[in-house]
Amino acid sequence: MAVMNKPPVTGAGPLNGVLTWFDQRFPLMVLWKSQLTEYYAPKNFNVWYFFGSLALLVLVIQIVSGIFLTMNYKPSAEHAFASVEYIMRDVPGGWIIRYIHSTGASAFFIVVYLHMARGLMYGSYRKPRELTWIFGVLIYLCLMAEAFFGYLLPWGQMSFWGAQVIINLFATIPIIGEDLSVWIRGDYNISDATLNRFFAMHVIAIPLALLGLVAAHLMALHETGSNNPDGIEIYENLDPKTGTPVDGIPFHPYYSVKDLVGVAVFLIVFSAVVFFSPEVGGYFLEYNNFIPADPLTTPEHIAPVWYFTPFYAMLRAVPSFFNMQVWGVIVMGAAVMIFFALPWLDRGRVKSIRYRGPIYKAFFAALIVSFLVLGYLGVEPTTVWGEFPKGLPHGRRGLHRDLGGSRAHHGLFRFLPAHALVHRGRQGKTGAAEAHVMMKKLILILLVVPGLALAAGGGAKLDKAPANLHDRLSLQRGAQIFVNHCLNCHAASMMRYSKLGDLGLNDGQIRENLMFAADKVGDPMTTTLETKDGKSWFGVMPPDLSLVARSRGADWLYTYMRGFYRDPASRSGWNNVVFPNVGMPHVLWEYQGEQVMQPGDKAGAKFAVGEPGKLSPAEYDKYVGDLVNYLVYMGEPARAKRVQIGIVVLFFLAVFFVITVLLKKEYWKDVR
Amino acid sequence: MTAIVLDQVDEMKRRLHIVATSAAGAVAAGGVAVPFLGSWFPSARALAAGGPVEIDVAKIEPGQQITVEWRGKPVWILRRTPEMLAQLEKNDGMLADPRSTSAKQPDYVKGAARSIKPELFVAVGVCTHLGCTPTLKKEIGAASDMGTDWPGGYYCPCHNSRFDLSARVFKGAPAPTNLEIPPHRYLSDARIVVGEDQKG
Repeated sequence: MAVMNKPPVTGAGPLNGVLTWFDQRFPLMVLWKSQLTEYYAPKNFNVWYFFGSLALLVLVIQIVSGIFLTMNYKPSAEHAFASVEYIMRDVPGGWIIRYIHSTGASAFFIVVYLHMARGLMYGSYRKPRELTWIFGVLIYLCLMAEAFFGYLLPWGQMSFWGAQVIINLFATIPIIGEDLSVWIRGDYNISDATLNRFFAMHVIAIPLALLGLVAAHLMALHETGSNNPDGIEIYENLDPKTGTPVDGIPFHPYYSVKDLVGVAVFLIVFSAVVFFSPEVGGYFLEYNNFIPADPLTTPEHIAPVWYFTPFYAMLRAVPSFFNMQVWGVIVMGAAVMIFFALPWLDRGRVKSIRYRGPIYKAFFAALIVSFLVLGYLGVEPTTVWGEFPKGLPHGRRGLHRDLGGSRAHHGLFRFLPAHALVHRGRQGKTGAAEAHVMMKKLILILLVVPGLALAAGGGAKLDKAPANLHDRLSLQRGAQIFVNHCLNCHAASMMRYSKLGDLGLNDGQIRENLMFAADKVGDPMTTTLETKDGKSWFGVMPPDLSLVARSRGADWLYTYMRGFYRDPASRSGWNNVVFPNVGMPHVLWEYQGEQVMQPGDKAGAKFAVGEPGKLSPAEYDKYVGDLVNYLVYMGEPARAKRVQIGIVVLFFLAVFFVITVLLKKEYWKDVR
Repeated sequence: MTAIVLDQVDEMKRRLHIVATSAAGAVAAGGVAVPFLGSWFPSARALAAGGPVEIDVAKIEPGQQITVEWRGKPVWILRRTPEMLAQLEKNDGMLADPRSTSAKQPDYVKGAARSIKPELFVAVGVCTHLGCTPTLKKEIGAASDMGTDWPGGYYCPCHNSRFDLSARVFKGAPAPTNLEIPPHRYLSDARIVVGEDQKG
């Protein structure tokens, strides 16, 4: 092409000259037009079509926040856990960056699962979009790898044991399995070497592949154009005058402004999580992951993060046959791999669920339900269904239920081709109302499942801790109790004395009232107790308490500190209702007095009061309440600030949402 | 009949909407940038490590210098002899800035001695030229290897900057200003704190 013959750029005001210069040397306008202003998208996109652009947004969020995390994260077994807490506490703004990244991980899966569900519903995987779909499934695989590698990095208990379980999946492969798992770890157990290579995979190898695949996914999409809720090809109905699709509208500005509305809504939900509930009840950040990795102790209940639980449930559901455990792995792998075959499994003539028959819809619903049920089962201990109808043997029952869900998942794909053949040719009949019913059912299921999860929760009953982070006096008293009674044996090495300034204390007050061991106000709260002595005195080194409120929860601590009773059989002479055979003696017994277990009583029942303490029961409850309040504060010193900033951010985003809605409305006047 | 009908386009109104959205977007981008860019400032750990340093100065003999670390930089503490102090008053003619008007130093160090107590000299041992650390050449005259007219002082090996024993730069040296005096104060005659003064 004779480069200088290109027409000059118009319509960019003062930038016309610069853009013309670029356009003569770079396919600027060609790209702009072919990919945006003259790229036609169907005009009937519904809410499901937001999730593609949102996935792209989350990718950017993860890359940016991830880059900033690597600036302070240390990929070594010795320092990883502490470096994450260093980011959370010592790096200015570090907690925001970390919560953005941890929330982004879950948001990524939510958005991608919804995006995939859209593809399944409207047949977006069908000819001619098979490659777009396959690139998409590859992206999903990369995403799972990325999440798996990334989850080891905080080096908490769940990081360690989650990775342990997944890597041992490879060990189940016959013949080569054992060597393969050692090769993946680079050691006989998950170690520094494993962490270091997972870090490399997480921060560079997989992201590069991911970016390439995203580019390929978009290029393939723009080659064929988008599908839509009716599953009709817009390029088959062109305007004879303009040669453009009758039912198509330019992506820019119409969908760029519409997607902005989606971005605003997404950011509102995302920020609400980041600022008000970054743990999401232990689903986004698992409580046990606030305990450093310990290769010698498995947590009582390990479950992968929620986005892997459907696959984890399949894995657990399949028993071993012929002395081999590999079958569960095969089922799980097949559940993912079958997505690749989907474009060729579905031989129906129509694409969209709107024009499919009732059997198809039933199986689609079964797929969604089994995905959710499997996800729920993967979170729970294996006994959860077993306890439901009493009298059935535990575990076995759970096994069958798991297996049932897994069968339904495969069932959809098994029956798809035959069913699609039966219900050929209903295209044209409107099915929008049915789709709405489907969506309502889906939402209903989404609401019911967490409810089930809550109902199934239980165990030892805990008393409600009176934690109030705005009560500075309570926090100051708690800090004083903590340094006087806890810090002798327990460290809080992630916490600096100077941080206590948050509680309204100045450096002088901190130094005079709260510091016994350290030299500088900026020093962390360490203990002088040696590990060797701790082990010989208590049987185990008293754990670091910086994060105890995050791993145990305030109510547990409150019940624990009030639940000591005399037990002559134990090593220290004390036992505890929520921590049986605890190594710690009742250090506050002078204040509470002695509680004696009544003969025949079960733990949690009433105590007889032995020798009374210095404080009345009500005063002691308040005393422990202050201590627990302080421990909650210490678990996350930025918490109060986090909520404050969150309110401002949400207020801003609400305004932003209104602005984007108005912008969208203004442009969508044009669309008929 | 295409899906787009441009019969009620009000260009001004659209421009207004775009400006409003762009402005809100810019605010959002700015807000997001705050924690990310802010994370490059020193962390609580760095601030704690860069805190004031307490030093026992009682055992420093006249004519001796010790070096302590403060914020990762060498801080010199030199106990000057009466002869050294007398020499300082005679150096003015050789110096670029004898009154230390353009030097970085707290306002409670004054005059030729540039210290709170004349004999005890405290300075940041980093050359104001390109950041090397000068060496002490305290002997006067030929014994110093610095020439017969050397009045005693500091010499930077990197680019030959010369300073007297109050770390004031000589004329013609590449260093632009006298060396920095850090904030410091006396806890007692025997102990000083570097990095903190009466105000802070």
